[in-house]
Amino acid sequence: MSDSQIRPTSTSGRSRWAAWALIGGAVMLAGGALVLARAHAEEKKAPEAAGTSYRPEKPTDDQVARGAKVFFKECVWCHGPEGAGDGPGALRLWPRPRNFNAGTFKIRTTASGELPTDDDLFLTVTNGLPGSAMPSWEGVLTEQQRKDVVAFVKTKMVKDRNFQDKDEEFHVISFDGQVPSSAESIKRGQDVFLNKGKCVQCHGPEGRGNGNLTQKDDWGFPIFPADLHQCYNFRGNRRDPYNPRNIFREVSTGLNGTPMPSFADVLTVQDRWDVANFVISLCPKVKIDPITVKPTINFVLTSDFVNGALPTTADDPKWNTVEPHFVGLGGQITRKPQNFNRRIEEVWVKSLYNKDSIAFLLEWDDRNESHAEGPNLPPPVNVADLTIPVAYYANKMVFDEVKDQFKDLYPGEKYPEPVIYNDAVEIQFPAEWQKLVAPERPFFILGDPIKPVDLWKWQSDGSVVAYTGHGINGANGDPEIVPRKTVIKAEDAHFKNGRWYVILTRSLKTDDKENDVQFDVNKYIPISFQAWDGDNGEAGARMSLSAWYYVVLKPLTPTKAYVYPFIMIGIVVGLQWWVIRKTQSIHNGNGGRSGAKKK
Amino acid sequence: MFWQPGMMPIQLLMTLGVIFVLFVIGHTFIKKTFGKGIPMLGQGALVMLAAYITFKFVITPPIPYSLLVTYMGLVGLVTALYISATEAQWSETKKPIINTLLGVTPTYRGVRAVAFVAIPLFMGWQTYTSIAPPKEFPEPPELRTVHPAPPQAIKVHDKNFTLQTAKNPFRVDAKGEYLEVGKEQAFFDSNPWDPKAEGYLKYVREGGAVFFRNCHFCHGDNLDGRGIFAYAWRPIPANLADPGTIAQLQETFVFWRISKGGMNAPREINPWDSAMPPWEEHLATDDIWKVALFEYWHTGFFPRTWD
Repeated sequence: MSDSQIRPTSTSGRSRWAAWALIGGAVMLAGGALVLARAHAEEKKAPEAAGTSYRPEKPTDDQVARGAKVFFKECVWCHGPEGAGDGPGALRLWPRPRNFNAGTFKIRTTASGELPTDDDLFLTVTNGLPGSAMPSWEGVLTEQQRKDVVAFVKTKMVKDRNFQDKDEEFHVISFDGQVPSSAESIKRGQDVFLNKGKCVQCHGPEGRGNGNLTQKDDWGFPIFPADLHQCYNFRGNRRDPYNPRNIFREVSTGLNGTPMPSFADVLTVQDRWDVANFVISLCPKVKIDPITVKPTINFVLTSDFVNGALPTTADDPKWNTVEPHFVGLGGQITRKPQNFNRRIEEVWVKSLYNKDSIAFLLEWDDRNESHAEGPNLPPPVNVADLTIPVAYYANKMVFDEVKDQFKDLYPGEKYPEPVIYNDAVEIQFPAEWQKLVAPERPFFILGDPIKPVDLWKWQSDGSVVAYTGHGINGANGDPEIVPRKTVIKAEDAHFKNGRWYVILTRSLKTDDKENDVQFDVNKYIPISFQAWDGDNGEAGARMSLSAWYYVVLKPLTPTKAYVYPFIMIGIVVGLQWWVIRKTQSIHNGNGGRSGAKKK
Repeated sequence: MFWQPGMMPIQLLMTLGVIFVLFVIGHTFIKKTFGKGIPMLGQGALVMLAAYITFKFVITPPIPYSLLVTYMGLVGLVTALYISATEAQWSETKKPIINTLLGVTPTYRGVRAVAFVAIPLFMGWQTYTSIAPPKEFPEPPELRTVHPAPPQAIKVHDKNFTLQTAKNPFRVDAKGEYLEVGKEQAFFDSNPWDPKAEGYLKYVREGGAVFFRNCHFCHGDNLDGRGIFAYAWRPIPANLADPGTIAQLQETFVFWRISKGGMNAPREINPWDSAMPPWEEHLATDDIWKVALFEYWHTGFFPRTWD
């Protein structure tokens, strides 16, 4: 081949590159189009068009038969064989499972008092109702199965209404005119919340669901307004907790069966979007675990060093240097007395330390500030009996009305009078964590006889004690509280608008090495938390508690970390200089031994 | 690309061979086109880079780090041998380095300046990060055994059960005959809420009632270990619908674990972390057998048997 053919000329070379660029670009476009097409195909089908034209599908007999099979395997246990929300599981659930018979459904896109659309019910089954025992059935039931069971429930379990009745109206709301979130929208929404919509009356001055605690649902069971700071617990969040569409929908349609009305006549569309944006702004922005629809839990919390004194108030700006840490609490059902219907589900923790002491700021939502009416003795073991219905402790104020209702539902059961105890919170550490070989720890429920725990307990009567936990005393079902001399300080413990704020402080080291946890910097120290809601019958071992976490006192950067790098830079520069000099002497002094160019 | 998961070492060698041939052809082409080839040091670097890309990104499934180090070490060794094989090749390899060190042209002087500022700064930075305390504190991994060896016998409510031989008393058909493991499949599609259900199916319903009053708070309505308390526990509750849990176990093993709970289980499961209640403190023995029956019915698994 001649040179001119091998060596590309400028034009043919350019055209070759151009050809490749064109092919490459075409491939990328095709790929991009494919990706977009797939994304569109996977999009959920669009919701029903707004207006009154919607009519539900009439389920076929086949669908209803298939749905029955699903229902009697998966759903009957809570919802009951007649769909009356009285299955065996309903005994200990609050909120109770839905009673389908009246056709009353909470989460809909239809106007207040109307039946839901098929898609509303399908989405409820698919996404579940977070904050309740209704799980997401996606992944467990196929799409067809979920549609079938909806068909079955609509046809056989809704007894007082008929979806196909010509007189049933379906005014599907429109989501048009969404106002994007902004500081102005949130401010307007706050005004709606306080004044025009008067949401504070039920949801409380800070929206923590503590405005009205005497309400009942359509079936006469106690019901509380939602705590708007826990958007991941909203029934209708469709596993998308930060989406204002959910709030807009609830405010526009009301939640049938509950005291939550529709505000469509009172608030304009813009008002409702503004208040939706405001409500979403109340919820802490955290990473949500898609399966549990709860904040993802990091089991290591850190304590930051501060110069000077530790803060003694909850609003001290020093606390702003740390992010609040989410701690999840489950009900203690391992030992008696079992607490199936715990009220406190989470505690937010911040920690700071200085050269002497460590402080923990604990914040948690509690609708009612509780103080013990008598001596704060824990309930005897047999009070939290198998047979006590769960909503019993929901609200003392309506207890008398509810009591008679339960007598009919669960005849022959014992209903002792409700007792109010102190609200309380507790931090737990292994007493001698340094002696433990990881991952061994004391039993997380208040320790065990061989490996005791150091417990710091604060109660709403202002008392704070340090005591040692050896586990739950099986006979009495509660831990023995024998206060030790160690001083734990409780600072700024106060209840405000449905939230408790407590700071617990102690010195890093104490003299009692055997019983007091000793804090070292840069070590993983096991820590866990317990909480009591006094008007939920919680005291002693009847409590909410967390798993073992770790707390690490973050070490400061030592001075040598700033000095040694410069020493290293100096050494390396010296080495470089030496290498260059050596090379120069080899190659210039001996007249180009290795063939390097001279000039 | 041309690499499929599961390809054998011969295909790996062939892939590398193809890359090598392509490289030689490409290099020859460049030499002919531009008059000179890539300097030896550059060739060596390109070979290492191409090998790294192949091992890390082309081969699927990903190979372990130790294997990557071994392969790169081999390639590095061969490359080093090649670029130093003869005196001429070795001096050609060294040339760019020496030119940089000596700064023979303005370009080389520029490269030298940049490198000799970057290297000390990099070393200083490495020193700092190795001395400064960590900023991140990851959760330490904690291993535990999920299926410990069961004891030979247990005592529940004053009654002894030898785990190898005990049978679930509620695993009976409508006539009261024992249902051999496997035979209950006939009922997997049936409705336990049928008022006429007797025997196995009726006990499944009663076990379900027990489950949904006691167990579903942790183990979930789907028995997948995602109940309403599950997010708070560590470790999370067992996923009974997973083929790695009750499907692997004898029914008496499940009976033992339910009765005695986590806090009384062998040390290797990390009992200090277990929220699993010792249900003998809360339930009758019959309830425990029935709930085990219900779990197998709902998940569609069979307990493990000797035959």
